[in-house]
Amino acid sequence: MMLFLGHGPKRHFMIMIMDERRLDVAEDLILELKGITKIFPGVKALDQVHFQLRRGEIHALMGENGAGKSTFIKVITGVHAAEEGEMILEGSQVHFRGPRDAQEAGIAAVYQHPTSYPTLSVTENIFMGHEDVKSGMIQWRGMHARAQKLLDSLDADFKPTDEVGSLTIAQQQMVEIAKALSADAKIIILDEPTAALTANESEKLYEIVEKLRDEGRSIIFISHRFEDMYRLASRVTVFRDSRYIGTYDVDQISNADLIKAMVGREITDMYPKEEIKLGDEIFRVEGMTRTGYFKDVSFDVRAGEIVGLTGLVGAGRTETIESICGITKPDQGKIYLEGKELTVRKPQDAMNAGIILLPEDRQKQGLILSWGLGRNVTLPIQGELSKNGFNDEKKERDIAKERLEEVDTKAVTIFQPASSLSGGNQQKVVVAKALAQSNMKVVIMDEPTKGIDVGAKKEIYEIMGQLAKKGFGIIMISSEMPEIIGMADRIFVMCAGHVSGCLDRSEVTQERILELSMEKSGDRKGGKAS
Amino acid sequence: MAGKSGREISAMPEGGLKSKLLSWEGALVLILVGVNILGVSISPNYNITNVLREMPRYLAEIFMMFGMGYILVLGDIDISVGALVCLSGTVTVLSSNAGAPFFAAVLICLLTGLIGGMLNGFIATRFTELPTMIVTLGTQIIFRGIAEVLFETWGNGGGTASMADTKGLMLLAKKIGPFPISFFCVILVGIVMITVLAKTTFGRKLYAIGSNKTAAYYAGIEVEKIRFICYSLLGLLSGLCALFLLTATFGSNTTTGQGFEMEVIAMCVFGGIATTGGKGNLIGGFIAAFIIVCLRIALGQRNINTQLILVIIGLMLIISVLVPSISSALSANKKKKAA
Amino acid sequence: MKKKSIGQFLSESREASLVIVLIILLLVVGIINPSFLSFTNIRQIFLNNTLTFLMALGMLCVMLTAGIDISITSTLAFAGMSIGLLQKYDVLHNTFLLFVIGALIGLFCGFLNGIIIAKGHVAPIICTMGFMYIWRGMAYVISNNNWASGMDVAGFSDFGKDGAPGPYIILIIAYAVFFFMMKWTRFGRRIYAVGSNTEAARVSGINVDRTLTAVYTIMGLLAGLAGVLSVSIYASAQPNMQYGKEMDVIAACVIGGVAMSGGRGSVAGTFLGALIIAIISKALPMVNIPNFWQNLIKGVIILAVVILNVVTQRTIERQNLLRREM
Repeated sequence: MMLFLGHGPKRHFMIMIMDERRLDVAEDLILELKGITKIFPGVKALDQVHFQLRRGEIHALMGENGAGKSTFIKVITGVHAAEEGEMILEGSQVHFRGPRDAQEAGIAAVYQHPTSYPTLSVTENIFMGHEDVKSGMIQWRGMHARAQKLLDSLDADFKPTDEVGSLTIAQQQMVEIAKALSADAKIIILDEPTAALTANESEKLYEIVEKLRDEGRSIIFISHRFEDMYRLASRVTVFRDSRYIGTYDVDQISNADLIKAMVGREITDMYPKEEIKLGDEIFRVEGMTRTGYFKDVSFDVRAGEIVGLTGLVGAGRTETIESICGITKPDQGKIYLEGKELTVRKPQDAMNAGIILLPEDRQKQGLILSWGLGRNVTLPIQGELSKNGFNDEKKERDIAKERLEEVDTKAVTIFQPASSLSGGNQQKVVVAKALAQSNMKVVIMDEPTKGIDVGAKKEIYEIMGQLAKKGFGIIMISSEMPEIIGMADRIFVMCAGHVSGCLDRSEVTQERILELSMEKSGDRKGGKAS
Repeated sequence: MAGKSGREISAMPEGGLKSKLLSWEGALVLILVGVNILGVSISPNYNITNVLREMPRYLAEIFMMFGMGYILVLGDIDISVGALVCLSGTVTVLSSNAGAPFFAAVLICLLTGLIGGMLNGFIATRFTELPTMIVTLGTQIIFRGIAEVLFETWGNGGGTASMADTKGLMLLAKKIGPFPISFFCVILVGIVMITVLAKTTFGRKLYAIGSNKTAAYYAGIEVEKIRFICYSLLGLLSGLCALFLLTATFGSNTTTGQGFEMEVIAMCVFGGIATTGGKGNLIGGFIAAFIIVCLRIALGQRNINTQLILVIIGLMLIISVLVPSISSALSANKKKKAA
Repeated sequence: MKKKSIGQFLSESREASLVIVLIILLLVVGIINPSFLSFTNIRQIFLNNTLTFLMALGMLCVMLTAGIDISITSTLAFAGMSIGLLQKYDVLHNTFLLFVIGALIGLFCGFLNGIIIAKGHVAPIICTMGFMYIWRGMAYVISNNNWASGMDVAGFSDFGKDGAPGPYIILIIAYAVFFFMMKWTRFGRRIYAVGSNTEAARVSGINVDRTLTAVYTIMGLLAGLAGVLSVSIYASAQPNMQYGKEMDVIAACVIGGVAMSGGRGSVAGTFLGALIIAIISKALPMVNIPNFWQNLIKGVIILAVVILNVVTQRTIERQNLLRREM
């Protein structure tokens, strides 16, 4: 019985239609996408999505994590080829075979963490691939001058000769913007650019983006921050669950309506939350601090309780729990398990005590993709499997089979490589791996449903519910508000490295979480000093 | 407890005799047989007695091959071991000449290797940012440098030293039946090292680190501790190699062990261990080592230019690493044609 | 503008810190033994290390792409032995033609490396290790274990004898060409781009495979040239010539600040790295340290340099975090 095959769907390649027929449109559209569908193995990442971009507008693209925004951007920039749909650039249909086609068509993207040449200078990063060459010689002087001019126009505080790897993320983004300008991009896409920036840096970015718009360029701005959208965009398009929900004028849609559009679905069905009588406090951290990452973080978990930890990307959630689990070394802080103080110096200390982490990046941190499922499951319990040092392979197979079936993994055999599974089933293997550790007391799940489809999400929630029923303490980190509201008993919100508030299940609303996770500009400046 | 769908997942181990025979190790066995047939056909003197008589001087390197296999499985590399053999041998000869009893000299030999390996391990685990190639390039020059200094300051100079009292070494060079002692030692060490890598939880951890260091660390494996152990182990085996090399050379000079590191890595790679880590096993390396030894002996007996062996080793190495990419290119081509 | 600390400056400009090390080295040695700074002595430093200086340029290119080439001294031996034999058997005595032939042999060897690494996706260290054996073995095979002696290469060795300008001219030309190529041509910058971020390079439309092949071909060409030069300078060709010296070349690059992870390194740094290694070996006997200390000191310096680099890097990162906190 073959339940799942690791092969991707057959790719349909669009036939390039190069008709130069101009469309008569009322509004001045520079880019239009119609009915875009993109399928990844096991997941429909985009489902009949539409998008229209006017010339000279800043258009916000919003939606939850996993709504399909990033995939959509990759389709526009030619990184992914869509299975269905058409793309019309300045009136003519285009088909990009690769990122280079998109670049040449005048589309440039600036990512949250720019992927550039870290060991090379700013000038080189800007002009790589289209250097100024006269009789075989690169015209450094001219290029530096042009780079300087671009940087001046962006009011940048670094030199063209600086090495990009030594710049801050905000500065690196500026290099990418300068690169887009040097190629005279007509459409500039900014993918969550403010997520890793401070308030001052964000303000500067706003000014630059407005200037680009005034020059007649069109901008697609992706952000989780409403602040960004209200400040910049004239229109906003919302995606949800890989689908197009609608496009609205920013000054005509209320905050509440927008959130409803983004979240939309009925929460009660999705989240099998059961009322469980909570036990005593099982786990508590006090004053966790790691310089530059998070500061004075404290929270507690009771037996049978699901505690949510949320906040914007870069708020320090993952960094905090990694320090709790001994992955990185905190500067300060105490950890109590069942009332007793626990010293965690390395990951094994936490694991031996029964604190189990399901890491955020399952492909890099959670699994060895080239290995079979069974071996992945039993990796953390090598000590238990050891019979005088030898690997008890019979026991190993039994444990792996039992745990993988317990979480209902869609797999044929425990020997098939983890890379052959879909994202959701890979996540189940990670859960099975945690369950294999019989001394488990506290489970920490970092973005357990990131990038997996709705069905698998629900199964993960059900597993969480069962674990809570058995009296484990559960910490769930998530950026997706519906799931954290749907599943958590209490929610700690983090913001810029500290806990900005704790909300009880009875009082929690999306607005309250948003409020707590987005500090005011004043807070950022003032908050750092304290 | 099964999941709600009651779906069953098979836990029956796959593979049988057929897949074993079709594996790279199977191919290596065939090559080994082929080499021996070649030996017999080109030289009338190529027989078991003669092969075993000539074997000891080639056997010593195989000890290190096992340690190097561990390091390569980890995804690291160590190019200092040849120099470490030189240093261990030199220290042994000089301390024996200075009056140390034989068993003490043996201990010193192994200890020198161990300390050298520990130094590698210490630097490689403390400064994880550094590629291990650079670390061991540095220690390679240092180990040989120390040996060179010792020849001049402690020994009689001239960059060479001979063991005055060879009684102990003669004992080690003895034979049991037609087999030299070193042959038994290699087999013994080989069985232990192969078993540890293939069958124990320690070996499993090595593969985990080599396949995905981050995931291994998140799964609670003490990555740096294990790396340190493996470097130390390789150092110890380098000491063992130096000891058995002495039973054939009875002395040491500045070029002792030169190029050993590359030969040992070549044996591992030819045996199917990938330098990128996480792949291969020592059985392949073990067979590959004997292929090279037999080939050497066969060519040596025929009085063919012995250095032709270098060309053959090089060709085998490149062909063996090109096989996977050629076969994948071929199968991709086939698919294209079929579609 | 933020001010940079001294540590930051030195770690960002490897050349600057190398120049400081060099000046200190020269001062100390010069004070203890002033004859070290004599013209003849300096000339000999370059002559004795011509091969390292020359091949370090190619190794720079290879390491910039995050690769390595350990076959170079074998290529050198094969090319050198070939032209030695051509003279031994009186086939050819024209110095210029011998250089061309040696260079072409090297070019071919390097091209094989490049094509297998780029197209066959073989790890550079394994591929070049294979050819390390093959070309060294070929040097033995073609010579049948014989040497080409000083008598055989009589006229030819004048080119590289002590005092003749030949080797210096080659070095100067090579460094000038590479300095220009790495800094001012599109090709040179592509090498940097490929090493700095292979994926980004591919996206920017750089032909990565071709760049890789070219880099190893250049390395081979220089190794071939070094082989010819070696025969000329040492007035003999032996199959085992320069055995194991590839590590000196790699060490020169590492000291010169070329990162093994690719994308970082310069011609000036490579030159300074090679120069420091050359000076250490020449200076030790002149400051009354016996020559047998040479390797030990060299090894310690290599390790010290790379470890120091890691430590400064860590300090800077730590400082950046603290700054972020405030």
